[in-house]
Amino acid sequence: MEEKDNKKENPLKVNRRHFFSQLSVGIGSLALGSLLIPDLFKNTGGQQASQPLGLPHFAPKAKRVIYLFQAGAPSQLETFDHKPILRKRMGEDLPESVRNGQRLTGMTANQEKFPLMPPAVNFKQYGQSGTWISDYFPHIAKIADDITVVRSMHTEAINHDPAITFFQTGSQISGRPSMGSWLSYGLGSENKNLPSFVVLTSRGKGNSQGLYSKLWSSGFLDSKHQGVLLRSGKDPVLYLNDPDGISRSTKRDLLNEVSELNRLHHVETGDDEIESRIAQYEMAYRMQMSVPDVMDISKEPESVVKLYGEDCQVPGTYAANALQARRLAENGVRFIQLYHQGWDQHGNLPDEMAGQAKDVDQASAALVMDLKQRGMLEDTLVIWGGEFGRSNYCQGKFDPANYGRDHHPRAFSIWMAGGGIKPGLNYGQTDEFGYNVVENPVHINDFHATLMYALGLDHEQLTYKYQGRRFRLTDVAGNVVKDLLA
Amino acid sequence: MVAQGFKGRWVELMVLALSVFLVFCLIFESFIELPSIVGWMGRWHPLILHFPIVLLVIIVFLGFTGREIPKLLFQIAVITVLLTAISGFFLGKSTGEKGALLLWHQWLGASLALVAVLLYRFRAELQKSLILRKVCMGLILLLVGFTGHYGGMITHGEDFLALPGADGPRELPEDPQVYSDLVVPILEDKCMSCHNPDKRKGELSVKGFSSLMKGGESGNTVLPGNYEESTLITRLHLPLEDEEHMPPEGKSQLEVEEITILERWIALGASDTLQLSLLAPSEPLAGIIKKMMGAASSSDWSRLPMVADETIDQLSNDYLTITRMAGGSNALGIDAFPPPEYDSKPIQDLEAVAANIVELDLSGLPIGDNEMNMVEKCANLEWLELDRTPVTDQDFQKITGLKQLRLLKIYGTKISDRSISVIQGLENLKRLYIWSTEVSNEALEQLARQRPDIVIEKGIDDKIQNFLEAKDTVPNLEKKE
Repeated sequence: MEEKDNKKENPLKVNRRHFFSQLSVGIGSLALGSLLIPDLFKNTGGQQASQPLGLPHFAPKAKRVIYLFQAGAPSQLETFDHKPILRKRMGEDLPESVRNGQRLTGMTANQEKFPLMPPAVNFKQYGQSGTWISDYFPHIAKIADDITVVRSMHTEAINHDPAITFFQTGSQISGRPSMGSWLSYGLGSENKNLPSFVVLTSRGKGNSQGLYSKLWSSGFLDSKHQGVLLRSGKDPVLYLNDPDGISRSTKRDLLNEVSELNRLHHVETGDDEIESRIAQYEMAYRMQMSVPDVMDISKEPESVVKLYGEDCQVPGTYAANALQARRLAENGVRFIQLYHQGWDQHGNLPDEMAGQAKDVDQASAALVMDLKQRGMLEDTLVIWGGEFGRSNYCQGKFDPANYGRDHHPRAFSIWMAGGGIKPGLNYGQTDEFGYNVVENPVHINDFHATLMYALGLDHEQLTYKYQGRRFRLTDVAGNVVKDLLA
Repeated sequence: MVAQGFKGRWVELMVLALSVFLVFCLIFESFIELPSIVGWMGRWHPLILHFPIVLLVIIVFLGFTGREIPKLLFQIAVITVLLTAISGFFLGKSTGEKGALLLWHQWLGASLALVAVLLYRFRAELQKSLILRKVCMGLILLLVGFTGHYGGMITHGEDFLALPGADGPRELPEDPQVYSDLVVPILEDKCMSCHNPDKRKGELSVKGFSSLMKGGESGNTVLPGNYEESTLITRLHLPLEDEEHMPPEGKSQLEVEEITILERWIALGASDTLQLSLLAPSEPLAGIIKKMMGAASSSDWSRLPMVADETIDQLSNDYLTITRMAGGSNALGIDAFPPPEYDSKPIQDLEAVAANIVELDLSGLPIGDNEMNMVEKCANLEWLELDRTPVTDQDFQKITGLKQLRLLKIYGTKISDRSISVIQGLENLKRLYIWSTEVSNEALEQLARQRPDIVIEKGIDDKIQNFLEAKDTVPNLEKKE
């Protein structure tokens, strides 16, 4: 009985006749094929090659990305979009002509009134660029001339999960590869000892929304492009350390044997994911050496610790992750994705905003300054922003000291720095209510296209064929916003 | 007789079936999902397409010279032309998105096949009228020619037949003149075919600075300082369908960047002496020119020696990554990371491709003499990271000859004032990252005076560091009532 099952599992034995009957046709057509297409048998799959064929499409400005994702959607009206009219017309109903039929979430759709609510703090202009920044962000104000604020971002999604999925994968429906996976697929790895896509998460005290591993999934791309979540604390990667009593050489022997078995299995089944599995074992083995070294911030001098703030010594904080991000970037990780949760201020906005801002303000600014002094802003693109904006009207009880704002897809602000992006630019405009984009709109697809362009990739050409059609990060849309590029 | 009749019908049926199949494919193209074997059949297209070309040309020759066209020849020609069109359709289908060239090729090829079928069907009528025959033969010849030409452009590139010397970006001089190096080439390229001293359409000639400034009929062609009302510009922005739009519909239009160049040139006073060095750094024109110069300099990479992928694989290891700066380019970027046990050999071995290395990152490695001897040989190096290494003043002398260097990171090293003269001599250097070294402030200030073109990054400034170190970083919220 057992023997029979074994035979069943071994496709070569069962398919022997089938195999030989196909062989003659097979060899004939292969020979012909190779005559007609000389490159037919060249390795174009990028399986072994560190750099996929013909990529990048052109010499890139940026080689890596640090994405400081503010999960939950920080309000543009309390960060970078200064709208004095909200104070002047405080409490008045949002004119219907401005809202213009925008669908609302279930949280405010039944509200009778939409009273305009001004931000609880002042805005000032900073730097030669005259960038408006709210008082919540005194440190980011210091780098006003190094960053470019885009105030005309817009999306279609009105709830967190579809919106964040859209930002990460180019589609509101989950299942597509994440941005970082696309870049890993397109550009390959810079350092073979670390994954090319790393994720770090932190959480503020503000109202939070969930984060799921699907956000850094490689979707239909090879699983080696998947984002690797590094945990805070002693074990950044679980089960990475060898158990007691296992030496590194024993581990090496073990891996060699396992790889051999896997290779045999690959010969039998031809499943490419087995190759990926072998590569991942090897990567994990090398990460045993490289990760503890990269994650160990104890060697950072005192001045750096002070730059990022004392918090950076507390594992799991945004500040620690920001410092970690710089170390990972220095070590050639292509895409470093930070998530800071807690920006979903449906109520109690002024207090929560202050807390969230305190979490991220200094460390974000410090990261940009630190990258700048190390010359890394030349080829590292830093992005700061959430998944959508927030409404200019009050959610819930009207109280200027303790108000909330609902989700708003039609306009929000993000900033970018370095990596081929023009510094000190203020791009795009919203109307006087901060509700609709009136100048230079940037859709998420446009944002993706521009990001890829900075990295030397043509978003229309980087495709992957799956289920009978070619997929792109930008799907069937997106234009490169050339005005943003240096 | 019977056998022959049957055979004859058989061919007719086959021609009919293939024609119907071709038309079906073309009409329902977007609904067809091909199995991979059919895609493979499409790859025969480049092979069989030569048969109908030759056979049809023979038919055309016979037709023109009034000779009888053998039926068998006509049959083979029609069947091969149909097979070519169908296989071509398969091949096109398997390439995914179809560009304009491919669409032209597809429809011309399909019409050629169908015209040939019609001629075959009505060949008796063809024999009767000499004029009709000549017209039809001419049509076939035209279709063969154009289909073949579009097919050729798809396989060999659109500019395959372009005359030599016509392509490639012009090289800009060191300090380009805005008028003669930027504006004139655009005018020559896009306007001068009509607005020259001979044709003078609208009484305008753009040849020569004075005639351009004199303008045409309306007189306000170029209003220095006011590009918004200069007709040279306003006409460019009219909708393409507008009668007044320039260049007229059908002529090659200006690129956005070219329009910007003209606009900025007029906005800055439309002078014929303006040059790059006189532009403010924030002036968009300066950015465009630098980008154009950058593009020209990156094309220097095309002169680098060839490097095979195998060489790259051989020289790389787990701690040394070699990447091509762009797909297919021979310019290489090198990233080295500290391995558990450092060995200088992999970096010394890079000497084999030294001329190809344009970016080299050795930061944080315990490098010494051996590695610096290799660096010395990288004559095309544009980007060098030596930060946090134990390089000494003596090692640093080895980069003296790296004249292409535009970015240098040397922070966190032991170099001192003695190395400043090396930096001064790097004429293309634009960015220097130098802090926590033994170099004195005075030496750096002197360097800044002598080389104002270098952006010197001296680390985070004390004022900011103090601000960041302030214990209480709670935002000072000025709450409104």
